[in-house]
Amino acid sequence: MPSDPSRLIAALARDQINLDLKTLDLCFLAGLYLRADRASLASFEEDVLIDMFEQVCDVVDPGAERPRKRATHAIQRLRDQRMLARVDGAGIVRSGEYTLTRLAAAVVEYFLADEALTRESLTLLTGTLRAQLAEILAAARRAETEDAWREHVVAPLRITVGDLVGGIERRQRGLDSQQEEVQAEIAKLLQVDWFGAVDRCQSLLDTTTNTLRELNEVLLRDTHHFVALLQEIQALASEAEQAEPEEAVQRVIEHVDRIAAWGGARQRAWSEYYQYVHRYLRDVVRLDPDRALSQRLRDEVANWPSTPFHLLVAAAPSIRLLRPLESRVERPAVMRPRTDREGSPDLVDPEDAGLNIETLVEDALAAGARSLAEVTEWVLPQFPADLRYAVTGRVADVLARITRTRSAIERPWRTVAPRLEVEDWELPREGDRR
Amino acid sequence: MTNSSFQSLEEAISDEHFPEVDLALRRGRHVGRDDGTAYDYLVDALDHLEPFYRRFGCELMQRADGYFYLLPSGDRLGRRQLTAGEMLVGQTLALMYLDPATLQHGGMVQRETLLQRLSGLLGTETLVRTLNPRRRKFDERIAAETVRTKVAEALRRLTDLGFIDSVDDAMLRLRPALMRFAEPVRDLSDRQAALERLVRSGEITLGEAVEKDDSDEEDENDGSDGHSAEDDEEEAGG
Repeated sequence: MPSDPSRLIAALARDQINLDLKTLDLCFLAGLYLRADRASLASFEEDVLIDMFEQVCDVVDPGAERPRKRATHAIQRLRDQRMLARVDGAGIVRSGEYTLTRLAAAVVEYFLADEALTRESLTLLTGTLRAQLAEILAAARRAETEDAWREHVVAPLRITVGDLVGGIERRQRGLDSQQEEVQAEIAKLLQVDWFGAVDRCQSLLDTTTNTLRELNEVLLRDTHHFVALLQEIQALASEAEQAEPEEAVQRVIEHVDRIAAWGGARQRAWSEYYQYVHRYLRDVVRLDPDRALSQRLRDEVANWPSTPFHLLVAAAPSIRLLRPLESRVERPAVMRPRTDREGSPDLVDPEDAGLNIETLVEDALAAGARSLAEVTEWVLPQFPADLRYAVTGRVADVLARITRTRSAIERPWRTVAPRLEVEDWELPREGDRR
Repeated sequence: MTNSSFQSLEEAISDEHFPEVDLALRRGRHVGRDDGTAYDYLVDALDHLEPFYRRFGCELMQRADGYFYLLPSGDRLGRRQLTAGEMLVGQTLALMYLDPATLQHGGMVQRETLLQRLSGLLGTETLVRTLNPRRRKFDERIAAETVRTKVAEALRRLTDLGFIDSVDDAMLRLRPALMRFAEPVRDLSDRQAALERLVRSGEITLGEAVEKDDSDEEDENDGSDGHSAEDDEEEAGG
């Protein structure tokens, strides 16, 4: 089983775990549980199951038709939900033998077993737990090997002690639900019998109060001893550098702390409820034995819109705190400093480097250049390096204007200067120029 | 001979509880057993504080149900009468306080149950008209929303006055001070005579409440704009 709660919940959701038990199913399970308990049966033959189902059917649904067929369906339904398990392994060779699963037993026990915490059951459980812890402490003192720690300390802590502590906790939950029933019963008694129910309500309150006080006393006294014993075992495990027992003890300590906290919390909650009910019995029920006030008040509310009245209450206004006086502050208008935005233009040297390009191109042609690349190569050295790129374009422009150029479909790229190439044009011979 | 642990008024008002309790009482709060040491202080200092508050034209009232409140009889200390919403909600809560079913949950009730009870006691139409007397026509949805708003407002003010505690958005804890709403029917005498007696003692006023416009009150109390869904509807409808 994965220990991470999120993974565990995801796994349950993935497997689409669900339970769908009808009253008849629950009664059938309860019948089987009680029969197994009384007759000390470990399992049931198929005929016994069907017989039990028919008996339950007679009580729950007397007019039901074809009970044997319904029994077959019920058995299958309970097997599907892991409430009944077939234990014979004979398959179709012979009729099956079934047992109630742990899940079915837990469900039935919840409804049947009266497992509320009482002073007797708690004293017995805490006494056994104390003896068990003393034994484990003695074993821890003797333990020298890892196996000895595991066998005589970790295992009893996880199983025996875990079960005992779990048993106390389960009974605590039983008592919680018993308290809820007492609260509901007090309300019901007053609803039915009003003034006549006062003594019975008082007695119910006192009984539960006494039970809780006694349980809390036992818990306070005994959990203190448990924790002392557990801490001693933990110290021994720590000295022996045994991580597993240390961790197991820590888990039990946390469990015991939870049990002790339960006692305090329940007593506080019950004390509040006790006071409330006590006041109610004294101020409401005893002062209005005929329960006439409720009826008169009900009539009063219903008639209020036609004959209204209003309660008066004090309504002194809050003290006004005046803000400290401040002299008026003149705020300056928002403005920005004036500046002269009409600045004088900068003086720069005239750019006349390209003025004589046309002359240079003509010189190149006259010198016998026969392509754009040759003309450009002839002109570029006349200019500084930073102007050569721009001059290259102007050369092409001049050449296109003063000559008739020709070019192949795929114009070849020619290098005319370092890091500078042009797509070349061929030029006509001298007699063909414009 | 007094049972008070305070020897003089000076000692009583020097106690650390006095400022808080005094302010609460002057704002109309009912201080009950649930208020713990504040209530214990009032029980202890009662003999000194009664004449003290009388000088302000108020009576410091102590009720057998276990709560104190200040009842102004003159004009020296401000006072106000509860609104129709507060009265209806308060009386219904008092009825629920008397109900044994509430006992099962230690005096806790759900807001939803209160609305159901109110509607059951008065009928929806009477409830709507009582809570909003100036409107002539009602759309069902708007009416329901108005009732919920008025009841929520009344609950907020009753909480401030110490009649109830607001546990969370859904739950309320009822306090014994709610029994003030049952005063006119507490004894078996004629209701009218009981009302007259309460009027004479300054506990109640009879007749329609002189209620301020809600939006005005909200402006005064919490500075909100007081603009309700109902107003929107009215404006939209011309």
